[in-house]
Amino acid sequence: MARFIRSVRDARGLDAVLVWLALGYLGVFSAFPLVYNIVISLQTVDLFSLASFERPFVGLQNYRDVLGDPVAGTVLWNTIQFVVLSVVFQLAIGFGLALFFQQDFPGATYLRGLFLAGWIMPALVVGAVWSWILAGDFGVLNYVLRSLGITDRNIFWLSDPNVSLYSVIIANIWLGIPFNMILLSVGLAAIPRDVYEAAELDGAGAWQRFFTITLPLMRAPLGAVISLGIIFTLQQFDLFAALTQGGPSNASNVAQYWSWQLSFQTYQISYGSVVSVLMIVFVVAVAAVYTRSTRHEQSY
Amino acid sequence: MTSPQIELEHVDKHYGHFHALKDINLEIGKGRFVALVGPSGCGKSTLLRSLAGLESITGGTMKIAGETMNGVPPRRRDVAMVFQSYALYPHMTVKENLTYSMRLKRKPREERDKAAKEVAEITGLGNLLDRYPRELSGGQRQRVAMGRAIIRHPKAFLFDEPLSNLDAALRVHMRKEIRALHDRLGATSVYVTHDQVEAMTMADHVVVMREGVIEQAGAPLDLYDHPANRFVAGFIGSPAMNFVEAAVAETGDAVALEGYDGAVLPLGRKLEPGRRVVAGLRPEHLSLGEPDRSQIRVGVGVVEFTGAASYLSSAGEPELTVFHAGRTEVRPGETVGLTIAPQHVHLFDPETGRRVG
Repeated sequence: MARFIRSVRDARGLDAVLVWLALGYLGVFSAFPLVYNIVISLQTVDLFSLASFERPFVGLQNYRDVLGDPVAGTVLWNTIQFVVLSVVFQLAIGFGLALFFQQDFPGATYLRGLFLAGWIMPALVVGAVWSWILAGDFGVLNYVLRSLGITDRNIFWLSDPNVSLYSVIIANIWLGIPFNMILLSVGLAAIPRDVYEAAELDGAGAWQRFFTITLPLMRAPLGAVISLGIIFTLQQFDLFAALTQGGPSNASNVAQYWSWQLSFQTYQISYGSVVSVLMIVFVVAVAAVYTRSTRHEQSY
Repeated sequence: MTSPQIELEHVDKHYGHFHALKDINLEIGKGRFVALVGPSGCGKSTLLRSLAGLESITGGTMKIAGETMNGVPPRRRDVAMVFQSYALYPHMTVKENLTYSMRLKRKPREERDKAAKEVAEITGLGNLLDRYPRELSGGQRQRVAMGRAIIRHPKAFLFDEPLSNLDAALRVHMRKEIRALHDRLGATSVYVTHDQVEAMTMADHVVVMREGVIEQAGAPLDLYDHPANRFVAGFIGSPAMNFVEAAVAETGDAVALEGYDGAVLPLGRKLEPGRRVVAGLRPEHLSLGEPDRSQIRVGVGVVEFTGAASYLSSAGEPELTVFHAGRTEVRPGETVGLTIAPQHVHLFDPETGRRVG
């Protein structure tokens, strides 16, 4: 024991303790659930066998069942739209705002800070706020649209199957803009000012500076923001819970919400894990791209 | 002198309440190498950046090659700048860095390659064209920054302390190289530095600035021989000039130093007797001698040797520094005599700092 304490005091032992603590945490709370999830997806699990490890092994049958489910196609297409539209608009608006606040004008930093307000709010609260904005009969958005004469009857944002998914996407874009803006602002601030000045003297106009200096130098931050955006969007659960619950009739259902519904509403736990395993595979691929893009960060 | 390439008339620059440049008047002839020199915050960099168009002036006119440049954006001024940080494009190879301006003008590839090769030849970057800036040493980056300017054949080269990030030996080497390049290209150069040695050795016209004002402008040796005021006298020359309060003697053709037993220095010129002045004595003009047969008697405080020369500092106040070429047997604590020729005694007004006589 005395030897152990001594080895902790002389840093070498301490290093080991710290490493094992971190690894232990990851093992218990990440690796184990991940592997256990994969195991479940290959077994038949019902409420009676939930507590035991010995369950009938069915191979890929669960995967066949899930992918054969008529809902699967809708959910996949919805998920693709949700991720692509959210990330594209979050990025475009976030980058635009980051460039805007990069200009030197009074109060730029304060205004930029205010944008963080949306980000620090819990997504459930954001969902509640948006459910009032989007409410069909008393919602603010309908009121605004009617006042402006853009529409003459209420749009049922959350209960019309044609628009419910886009309502969640709009709320999610709003939620993701601050994160995109802040991360890209940091990237922009890291580009030395005199590089722009040199380009200006070399004859580059504003657009040319953007395309030949800003964009290439922002490759790493943009890659990071896109990858993280995809991952965060695939984790977006609260907004669906608060706004549409995936409805009406799966019109706005996406993989992460469907997985939860299967596991904890209909108790088809194996099917729920199948969906999450498929998502994990995709997220791991995105994460690999992300780590690659951060490795290529520019040095000045 | 040929027609002026750069003309500044009554140029003013305010940052809010801060008056950064005050009524700057300057003419720079074509093919000249002009150094702007002064302590930090004197406005030399602001002046250079105003020439580049990176800062806008708030008053006066600024002309480059006869054209008024007030309000003209940097990319339409046809001047090239070498930055202190080099400001290379980190995501481009050396070749791409050099030819960036040509690509913006959509020059054909063959022309760009040819120009890049020529410039690489001139600047000694021959085999580095495909490297990225991060793979280069400080001196090589400096050459790329210069090459990027040269390739454009601009109306003027602007240098913003380009050597201050290099080590001492390389700095001395690059000094000569930049000057040689300037001569070879027949360029007009404006060179900002806080290092008066750099200014003196490289430029054919030195502009000394302080607090937004041009204190004196002229040929390097003119500034050294006839400093217009106490600031310029103290700024030009290394080690710095000694200043001693003094009074003009009854005869009017000598000054009596204060604090050195009334040591009297002949002037070889007539001044108003009794007038209070500050005498400026350059360390290299004070020669060592026997105490009894010299003008000034001083106790020696510190003696430093560099091998080629010795530096003596007096023990008394105000301190006198003496530059002695070669070695000396004098040791701290001894008393020595100092002598200075009349034409080397500079006199300044104690109030205004202006040169007297």
